[in-house]
Amino acid sequence: MLELIKANLGIILATLGAVTAAIGGILGSTLGVGKAGQAAAGLVSEQPERFGNALILQLLPGTQGIYGLVVAVFIAMRAGLLPGGAVEVSVSQGLQLLFAAFPMCFGGLVSAIHQAKVSVSGINTIGKRPEEFGHCMLMASMVETYAIFSLLISMLLIFGVNVG
Amino acid sequence: MIVAMKRLTLVGIREEEPAILKALQKAGAVELISLGDHDDGESARKLGEASERIARLSDSLSAIRPYAKKPGVLAPERQESLEKLQGDVALAEQTHQKIQAILEERKGLLARREKNAAAYAALLPWQELSTPIEKLKDGKHTKVFLGLVDGAGETALLQNESLAAEFYGVPGNRGALLVCHKEDARQTAAFLKTINWTDVTLPELSGTPEEAMLALEREDMALEKRLIELETELSAFGVSAPVLENAADALRVEQEGMSAETQLEKGAVVFHLEGWVREDEVEKVEKAVAAVTDAYYSEYRDPLPEENPPTVLQNDKFNTPFEFLIDLYSLPDPRGIDATPYMTPFYIILFGIMLSDTGYGLVLALGAWLLLKLKKPTGGMKGLATILLWGGVSTMVWGVLVGSFFGLDFDAIFGTKDMFPLLIDPTANPVGMLLFCLLLGVIHLCAGHLIKMKMCLEEKDWQSAVFDNLSWVLILMGLVLAAMPVAAGFFDPPLRLGWFTALHLNTVGLVLALLGMAMVVLFKGRDKKNPISRLASGFGGIYNITSYVSDILSYARLLALGIATGYLAMVFNTLCSMLMGGGSLIGKIVGFLIAVVLLVALHLFSVAINTLGSFVHCARLQYVEFFGKFYEAGGKAFRPLKYRTRHVQISK
Repeated sequence: MLELIKANLGIILATLGAVTAAIGGILGSTLGVGKAGQAAAGLVSEQPERFGNALILQLLPGTQGIYGLVVAVFIAMRAGLLPGGAVEVSVSQGLQLLFAAFPMCFGGLVSAIHQAKVSVSGINTIGKRPEEFGHCMLMASMVETYAIFSLLISMLLIFGVNVG
Repeated sequence: MIVAMKRLTLVGIREEEPAILKALQKAGAVELISLGDHDDGESARKLGEASERIARLSDSLSAIRPYAKKPGVLAPERQESLEKLQGDVALAEQTHQKIQAILEERKGLLARREKNAAAYAALLPWQELSTPIEKLKDGKHTKVFLGLVDGAGETALLQNESLAAEFYGVPGNRGALLVCHKEDARQTAAFLKTINWTDVTLPELSGTPEEAMLALEREDMALEKRLIELETELSAFGVSAPVLENAADALRVEQEGMSAETQLEKGAVVFHLEGWVREDEVEKVEKAVAAVTDAYYSEYRDPLPEENPPTVLQNDKFNTPFEFLIDLYSLPDPRGIDATPYMTPFYIILFGIMLSDTGYGLVLALGAWLLLKLKKPTGGMKGLATILLWGGVSTMVWGVLVGSFFGLDFDAIFGTKDMFPLLIDPTANPVGMLLFCLLLGVIHLCAGHLIKMKMCLEEKDWQSAVFDNLSWVLILMGLVLAAMPVAAGFFDPPLRLGWFTALHLNTVGLVLALLGMAMVVLFKGRDKKNPISRLASGFGGIYNITSYVSDILSYARLLALGIATGYLAMVFNTLCSMLMGGGSLIGKIVGFLIAVVLLVALHLFSVAINTLGSFVHCARLQYVEFFGKFYEAGGKAFRPLKYRTRHVQISK
């Protein structure tokens, strides 16, 4: 068993990297979209006509999950985990891929949760002042900037790993 | 362009005031200014009454809504004349009465049914009792106890030989009937307290419990039948939905007129009205009033410096939809600048890079085009759809430039070799693409400064134009030129800059940047007398470069969102191609069908979520980075007195 792990340590670390990126982004988005969804449902109970706007604000913290997915699949692709691309991954390359997943994991997790908080406040605001929708959307997207940067850093680092 | 506004003062004969207000409402060109609070209580009462009537109609409307014919999602909004709407009010209020009668009766029946169900449940344990309910009363010398007991209570009762008890119903929830002498009643009650006994009062019905239950069942059937009848009657009113909508909108129009009335100043003989009118609509207003009467006085003047007129934007046909983005942010100060025409080209270009997939652009443009053609939306919806249409077109172009079609490579589709992408492949050359995106950012920011420069020059403030704006354009563009040879090395393959270096453009860039910096250092603190504090202020100005760095890096999102779209599409393709590889023929066919359905659904989802992302982040780059350089927000929207409806558009 130990021998087996030792022989495949590179690819195992790369897999762990893909998993890390996916978990961070998806966990954050699940928490975020869930929390914003509660607020949106509450608003719709009083003002059903605000459903469209509330849904958009609810969806905004959902992108981190997608970024996590993208980074995870990209790592899997580089490490030859997807069909049609078996490559040799050294331990150092595996470690690089694992570390490259960290920005997306933590950046995605934390930014989604905090973006959801802004979304929730925004949903409450459009209940009282529907004309403020644009501003509320903009404020929520401010937080998302950092998820985007996380995605970018992770992707650039993965591009930089010379596998195969 | 920001439309110039005129301040209208109108004085007319009081008796003609309703007719004049009606004409102004029809013209829809005057925003009234409230002239103090002249509320006599009467108008407040009338306004309240009107909104009550609207609420009543809306209530009936929502009751019959499930039975009404639904307009298609893409069906355009209905158009009617105002006369038609007003003509429907009487009929609608009659219909409302009928609908409310049905709703009232239904409410009564439902309450009745609930009560019967409770009575039925209470009788259930006593079904076998053969004594009529009305006879289960205390006699001259006897006392009757009715109650429910559990198993242990039943045993205790049986063991108590001084009591005669009869039991009904199922064990565990037994109905017990006790009869005792009146003199023993207190003693019996005390005993019952020691066991688990619950007193029961049977519903006041006639006959034995079983007979009563049958009667309830019969009544329930009748109730059920009537409820179904009522449902049918109500559903027949489904066709009246348009009438109710018309009437509600007619009342809304009337209500708007009433609230306008509270903003006037009324004397014994004349009334006085103040409002804002667009300069190009002065004639329209004048005509509308003149059509009613010739006994009036009107005056149109420019706004005073301390007055704050509403902001109205006006642009050509191409730029108008993009005013939606300005509305979404904040209208410009009435004396500021309309950013729409400057923003439009940048918005279209930057939006396309973020989505950057020809397939997705095609879907988006087609969807937006269909929406515009079939639904014929107005206002903000129309603006949004047109923006997305242009965004889709731009996305298609960028898709060709970066070589992505639904996440596939163009070369793979056309069978060409290394022809696509035409410009740069972000997946093969991410750093090059990043630098390209940042360059676009620099151009965007410089454009912002150039607009500010133009504004300053119009105000004859050439110092601000040169030292605060041109200086930064020189610094930013100069640094870009100077950094070109280094940046070229990051491309794969490295860019060839033969002519560039031959012309020594990088040196020129460096000189320009230094010139710009010198301008900032020497002239940033030009209003300061003390030369030392003036220089300090200048060097502080140079420190501002950090904010430009963060502004420019913000454009990295162009690359990131583009990569996210591209890879997401690729992930979906890979996923679905895995499904297609089934072994047997049946497996292949089933796999293929599932894959196709899934592929369509997943790509549509991807288009939707990525369009949302591109829309929001593109808007952010305009609002924060671009507008930050020149825009002055703070205008308020123009809300003229007009026909404001919810369901129907009023045809002119």
